[in-house]
Amino acid sequence: MKYKFIGILIALTMFATGCGKSGKSKDGLTIGVAFETLQTEYWVAGFDAIRTDLEKRGYTMLQAISNGDPNRQLDQVKNFITRKVDGIILVPKDAKSCLPIIKAANEANIPIVLFNRPADKSDAHSVAVVADNFTLTRETVSYLIDQAKKTGNKLQAAILIGDLGDINAVKRRDGFDAAIQGHEDLIDVVARIPTEWNQEKAQAGVVNALQANPDIGFIFTSSDFLLPSIVSALKSAGKYHKIGEPGHVLLGGFDGDATAWKMLKDGYLDATGVQDVYFEAAQSVQAILDLRAGKTVPDLILDPGFVIHQGNLDEKSKQMWGAQMAAKK
Amino acid sequence: MTQLLRRVLLSDYFVLGLSLLYVAAVAPFTPGFVSAENFTNILSALLPLLVVALGQTIVLITGGIDLSVTAVIGLSSIVGAMAMNHETGWLAQSPIAAPAGVMIMLLVGASVGALNGIAVAIARMPAFMVTLASMMGFSGLAVWLTHAKTINALPSGFTMLGGHTMITLAIVLVVGICVHVFLRRSLWGRWLYAVGHNSRASHISGVPVGGITFFAYVASGLLAAMASVLYTGQTETGSPVLGQNILLDVIGATVIGGTSLFGGKGKVVWTLFGVLFLKLVDNSLNLLNLSIFAITIAKGAVILLAAYLDSLRNRFVAA
Repeated sequence: MKYKFIGILIALTMFATGCGKSGKSKDGLTIGVAFETLQTEYWVAGFDAIRTDLEKRGYTMLQAISNGDPNRQLDQVKNFITRKVDGIILVPKDAKSCLPIIKAANEANIPIVLFNRPADKSDAHSVAVVADNFTLTRETVSYLIDQAKKTGNKLQAAILIGDLGDINAVKRRDGFDAAIQGHEDLIDVVARIPTEWNQEKAQAGVVNALQANPDIGFIFTSSDFLLPSIVSALKSAGKYHKIGEPGHVLLGGFDGDATAWKMLKDGYLDATGVQDVYFEAAQSVQAILDLRAGKTVPDLILDPGFVIHQGNLDEKSKQMWGAQMAAKK
Repeated sequence: MTQLLRRVLLSDYFVLGLSLLYVAAVAPFTPGFVSAENFTNILSALLPLLVVALGQTIVLITGGIDLSVTAVIGLSSIVGAMAMNHETGWLAQSPIAAPAGVMIMLLVGASVGALNGIAVAIARMPAFMVTLASMMGFSGLAVWLTHAKTINALPSGFTMLGGHTMITLAIVLVVGICVHVFLRRSLWGRWLYAVGHNSRASHISGVPVGGITFFAYVASGLLAAMASVLYTGQTETGSPVLGQNILLDVIGATVIGGTSLFGGKGKVVWTLFGVLFLKLVDNSLNLLNLSIFAITIAKGAVILLAAYLDSLRNRFVAA
């Protein structure tokens, strides 16, 4: 019996290792896509958008997810290089630890594009396709400020800040501050909650902020994936109300995920800055093709994104990736 | 038949044979798997893991376990980077930044190991709980030190230790030979096995059980810090979350090699073969373009198989 068990385990392992897709596509290019994580809807949507774009063009995609481990990601990209891929699309863990990865691709003369998360400046060359985090956040928060004006009251505000090792988090914080500047008579920022992109920390932070400042009436999160943490904390405090109801806390976010879409539709979320994931995916693939063709490509390609709010919900929902994902569910 | 299985399972080279069998089975389906370039990739991925797994081997031989190695890797990495950073480091621009940084990192590892050792050997607390708590505490400390930020701009004399495969190989060879000689040729090495076999009998026979146990955790912390030097050098960046996800690889590779979770058994060469097997699996699954979910399932199956083989071996030895 025990030998049968060993046999089954070996067979399962061999099956799992032998059943993968392999080989280059006959005519098209092979692109290695290495993501640091697939743990939030945004990254899943980005990964799927790149896959769909590559499939449409008849290209083969090699995939690798490093689960937040930059050393593993370096190994994975080296594997891509061994497989002689024609281009690499990378979501790095952070702006610094990806530099040896970019250098390895540079040495192999393989074009590399960073999707949604740029690298620090260095002698390693890459192209980054990122949302205009600063402007998009500033516009989203400006919309919330306009709504705040309508209340006629000075509001206490809180911001959930992401991992400050991630330049996107820094830009979103700066966009928030820029929007608030000049409106201090209307908005008093009483809590800056560090989340390190962690839902548990976000929830604990919001709970603490609401206990210390029960009158908070304005919350902005640097990513929509933290919205469930905010909702949970607001419900516990008895402050989760629809737009227009007494006690509604003005809520804004960034990303445009399915949760944000549902909250917008249900009338709980005022606005969110939507990253155009389809635009970013298409630009990433195009940048690789342009680099291969020897064309000049800027180091930074900005996705302008758009703000979706209660006033333009129907018009913009078709472009919102979260709404598309919600429709598929 | 049983006799043959017994001989195969108890052979020093069982996992090496399994690795060769695996290469032969997978190579035809895996583009680029059997190539000099890919074997260099496997080697550079294998070396730091081997160092941290050697520390785990020492602890497992005593019948303990060290779950804090990932925290040591992260904490050493960030403290070392804080010391060596070109702009703001305590040793910025100093000609001794690299060697002093390495010493600081090793000191951090040895200190965490010493705390674990005191708790397990002197306070007689369970190793699992002590090192689990230590993992949580020191991981938190690492993140707190820089508020989760990473630090780069490290001296090239430091980054080449992990970034240059041949230099890394030389370092790991020296470390591996030292651990091997210690385990097989020294009195303290033999005491480690004795403690793992039966600590009460060892104590009665005059073996300093507490001292040996304490030493095992210090060695594990030291080797985890050494691995941190190599990992940090690879990415040229100090990170408080470095190595956060490799605990299963460390323990899995050590046990796959044949080091017993029940104590009293383990060799450097076994751990080398275990790490080699795990990295071969990892590398081939990546080259096969499997999804992260399939890779995780396959690796889980391999580690489960290894744990089962470990219990089989123990039964054969006992029979």
